[in-house]
Amino acid sequence: MNRREKRQKRFLKKQPKIVDVQTETKKIEKEKDTSNSFYYKHYKKLLIIPFVMLLFGIMIIGINIATTGDFITKGISFTGGTELIITKQGLNAKTIEQKLQQEFPLNDVIVRETTSFGQITGITIESNIIQENQEQVKKFTNKVKELTNPSQGELTENILGAKMGESFFQQLMVGILIALLFMGIVVFLYFRTIIPSAAVILAAISDIIVTIAITDLFGMKIGVAGITALLMLIGYSVDTDILLSSRVLKNKEGTVYKRTIDSMKTGITMTVTTMAAIIVTLIMAHLNSIGELTEIMTIILIGLLVDLINTWLQNASILRWYMERKEKNEQN
Amino acid sequence: MNKIKKIFTNKRILILLAFLIISVILIQPGFSEQGVAIRSVQKDSAAAQAFPTPILSPPQTTKPMGREVILSVNDQPINTIKEYYDSIEQFQINDTFTIKTNKKTYFITINPLINLTLTNETETTLINRTTVNETTNETITEEIETEKPVYKEEIIGKQDIGITVYDRPTSNVKKGLDLEGGTRVLLKPQEEINDEDMDIIVENIKQRLNVFGVSDITVRPTRDFFGNQFISVEIAGTNEDQIKELLTQQGEFQAKIGQITVFEGGNKDILNVCRTSQCSFIDPINTCQQTTDGTYFCGFWFQITLSQIAAERQADATRDLGIIPSSSGQNYLTENLSLILDGEKVDELSISSGLKGLATTQIRISGSGQGTSQKSASENAKEEMKRLQTLLITGSLPVKLEIANVNTVSAILGKDFTKTAMNTGLLAILAVIIVVAIRYREPRISIPMAITMLSEVIILLGFAAFIGWNIDIVAIAAIIIAVGSGVDDQIVITDETLGRRKNKDETIDWKARMKRAFFIIMAAYFTLVVAMIPLMFAGAGLLMGFAITTIAGVTIGVLITRPAFAAILEILLEK
Repeated sequence: MNRREKRQKRFLKKQPKIVDVQTETKKIEKEKDTSNSFYYKHYKKLLIIPFVMLLFGIMIIGINIATTGDFITKGISFTGGTELIITKQGLNAKTIEQKLQQEFPLNDVIVRETTSFGQITGITIESNIIQENQEQVKKFTNKVKELTNPSQGELTENILGAKMGESFFQQLMVGILIALLFMGIVVFLYFRTIIPSAAVILAAISDIIVTIAITDLFGMKIGVAGITALLMLIGYSVDTDILLSSRVLKNKEGTVYKRTIDSMKTGITMTVTTMAAIIVTLIMAHLNSIGELTEIMTIILIGLLVDLINTWLQNASILRWYMERKEKNEQN
Repeated sequence: MNKIKKIFTNKRILILLAFLIISVILIQPGFSEQGVAIRSVQKDSAAAQAFPTPILSPPQTTKPMGREVILSVNDQPINTIKEYYDSIEQFQINDTFTIKTNKKTYFITINPLINLTLTNETETTLINRTTVNETTNETITEEIETEKPVYKEEIIGKQDIGITVYDRPTSNVKKGLDLEGGTRVLLKPQEEINDEDMDIIVENIKQRLNVFGVSDITVRPTRDFFGNQFISVEIAGTNEDQIKELLTQQGEFQAKIGQITVFEGGNKDILNVCRTSQCSFIDPINTCQQTTDGTYFCGFWFQITLSQIAAERQADATRDLGIIPSSSGQNYLTENLSLILDGEKVDELSISSGLKGLATTQIRISGSGQGTSQKSASENAKEEMKRLQTLLITGSLPVKLEIANVNTVSAILGKDFTKTAMNTGLLAILAVIIVVAIRYREPRISIPMAITMLSEVIILLGFAAFIGWNIDIVAIAAIIIAVGSGVDDQIVITDETLGRRKNKDETIDWKARMKRAFFIIMAAYFTLVVAMIPLMFAGAGLLMGFAITTIAGVTIGVLITRPAFAAILEILLEK
């Protein structure tokens, strides 16, 4: 391309564009449409969704407490138990499970295959024999060793006491409450208005309750890793809520609705990136039988989905309601 | 061109670069796969008697990259753990071979494994007996016959040379048990104990594990939320059941003169081991001496109180012993006092001739530490004194310990896991980059974001290497969280910047925009930190690694990488 051609091209670029009037009007109409959208008009009705979800969550947890005595299905890190992983190929999980069940009829024994990128690398044996019952633990591990004959470095043992687990559970519960309390204080100090702060905290609490209810529905066992995940969830959930609140409360330009939509774009991008990372990790953890990571990532993924509803239907609607009432009061 | 110059002169970006460089230096990534690293050397083993210098267990504080690495055995290169054990296996008793490490070359001779059995026979020996005639104040030396039991020595095999090895570390980032394999035992004292007793127990556990040649250990007291006490023992590498049992046994300590047990551990024989300054003593100035070859020796002593019965047993045991005269005026008896822990002799003390036949309840134990400088000699003396004191208290553990949790991770599982974890991390970052690239369709945004994410990981690992923190499963989860929240913050920064641009609201300056972005970021930061605080204390510190890694990660992000990202964005998007 010579210089002249280049100049010509540049000239062409500067030429005013001829626009199709029809599409342009359509565009404007479309924009109008957004402010006419369901989300814009019926936000108070949409508020029902998160609250119904929360109510269901509380009910499911209530049913779980009534039937099992606990609001979650506790994993062995809380109930105590024995977990043995044998990293050795050629073991048959089914036969070993049958033999162990015959030998220890009074205990629950589950044998699963462990995999690495879909290839079977060994087995995991889980039982509810606790550390406090030392003789039984010894008998059990010896029997497993006899059946699987692992050489040095092929056996992974995880033997947990019931007392320890129980206390651990209580501590983490207290931990979650303290975390929520601290978080509430931070949020309140930040915004210094009651309703918006309370909305953020309500969203975080709803996230936790609904997430727990969903794990109950699926009968998922939750251990230390799962509770840690709930704590992380507080962090993630509050991220988007704070973004929303500070944009809506502190920014001045545009309408409340416009600001909400703006923060929604940012907030959903944040959640989607996090989800992308979590889904990848979840797949990897699942393929490689890393129980702890699978547990953490599954719970966060559920929690993030729940959080989308709680942030953009619950928190956003409460905030808008609050702002519109405030504006009305100021006008009067 | 101007923009590149701007990038490399920006203060915040320079700070990020400085931290990155420091982190890489701290992590010290190495790519050599050659050789196997020495994890521990068993006491009194062939390796510990190597020529010209003994091979030593690496001190606990050695950074992974500072570990001694075995490169070859008899000039045959060693690259895997299996190769090492196979090549050692081929040697027979009394064979001498060379081990070449990255530091030195050693000669090691394989020792026979001897089984000692007590026979019914006795052996008669003549020894000098010195007595003082109290009326005439005369010293009488006479020869008397003593009988000694005879042991039958039987060679039943060859002794292990006593070195345990592991894969050569490739960076200074310490891998936790989940990744490296090893055992974690959580012990719970059956009753509340005070800090002083806790120190004794911790020291005692270290001692006992050392006796068994286990040296890569961390023993620390912890407390949980409700104030319950625990002792966490972490042993790197795969270990046998023996160790688990060792930890719960209360330990058996004996002090013997010849074949006679003079006192046993426990409150009944040793009433008190002095640990205060009134009756224990290290004087770095007066008691230190320099020998002709330049080595320093520093002395120490401390007092112990025996029960009357033990004192009498000692008098009986020493009454018939001979005296070895010495030129220094300090004479010692012909037999030593052997300190035996769990059936293994751990130390030997000379007995002053003054104690011969004397039923004294107050005895003074003295010794010395050796070092190349006066300071190190004095330090060693202090260590040695502490070790002896602990030994004497051993067995008289204030409380019984029970095992609350045992967690043994096999080395193979750990190794697989490390690989998976690294792949997972990289894939997760890639997934995030793809989402960001699709969302913004702007390489000037997604490339700096990718760089920022990687920088956060590198700085976090550098920090972990610096404080010697172990990276384990939960720490990896924490890194993912920290990086995840980092991306969230970068998105806030980006949108805050782009949003204003689109609104053509050029009256708001960069500072105001960033201030607003950082208002959101800081709020999110504080809530995440406060959510992590309870985890630091819950469950006897089992989740402390997770909490600290997360907090460190987000702090690094907020202070270093995210401001730098904002600066890069500002420069790149500026017109």
